[in-house]
Amino acid sequence: MNKVLLLAEILTVASALIVGFHPNILYASVFLLFTFCGVAVMFLFAGADFLAGAQVIIYVGGVTILILFAIMLTQWLYKIKLADIRNKMVVPALLSAAVGVFLYRALHQMVAALPPQTPEALEKFTATPKTAAIGQALLGGYLFPFEAITILLLGAMVGAVWLARPE
Amino acid sequence: MNHLMQFSSSLQGYLAVGAILFSLGVFCVLTRKNAIGILLGIELILNAAGINFVAFSKFRTGLIDGQIVALFIMLIAAAEAAVALAVILRFYRLKQTIDADEASIMRN
Repeated sequence: MNKVLLLAEILTVASALIVGFHPNILYASVFLLFTFCGVAVMFLFAGADFLAGAQVIIYVGGVTILILFAIMLTQWLYKIKLADIRNKMVVPALLSAAVGVFLYRALHQMVAALPPQTPEALEKFTATPKTAAIGQALLGGYLFPFEAITILLLGAMVGAVWLARPE
Repeated sequence: MNHLMQFSSSLQGYLAVGAILFSLGVFCVLTRKNAIGILLGIELILNAAGINFVAFSKFRTGLIDGQIVALFIMLIAAAEAAVALAVILRFYRLKQTIDADEASIMRN
């Protein structure tokens, strides 16, 4: 079981590296799909079964396809510029590495501040299905954010259709 | 190898993957000229945030609140992607390019 999780994490990081460094935007967006799949497996091992399914449906099936459509609509395949990345890469690389290290160290302090779970509790948490609990929470304590996000989605959908309307 | 496997299934392993994804996303946003490339970086950043929420919800609190926040992040990312791609299509129709450097209409 641990092997699968390790493989998923390696897949996630490796394809994210390709997304960050590949000069061709089409390859980068195809490898973004593998990153999303790896993250879905990581969610599954963290006891988030519903989220893993939602990740596959929304990201792998929705966002990636949308991005690929946008690439196809805006640039012809043979016209995609190979040198899509800026030449100055040292400063952004140092900056983003510093941000990542800072984030990891800051979260590490938070890890130390919160009490850890027992191994039995972790087993139990991973083994319980979460769909029913998430549904109860969305229509219970999280009702207001849930309704707000439905309005946000409606607004975003109408706005996207209006923006992309024909002349 | 055994050590690595233990690390990968711990909270620290999840946080490390999240941090790597986040910094790669920042790098992608900073280096891409293409507007769609910047969007790819933003998606990586949002996924990193989701990983961190889910990891803390399993390894520390033991509640599902972190998962619900991650779900909201996912929905916001989907809405944001739809609007951003509509803007990119509009911009392409206007300028025949999606180079982010060309988006300087509002500068003056």
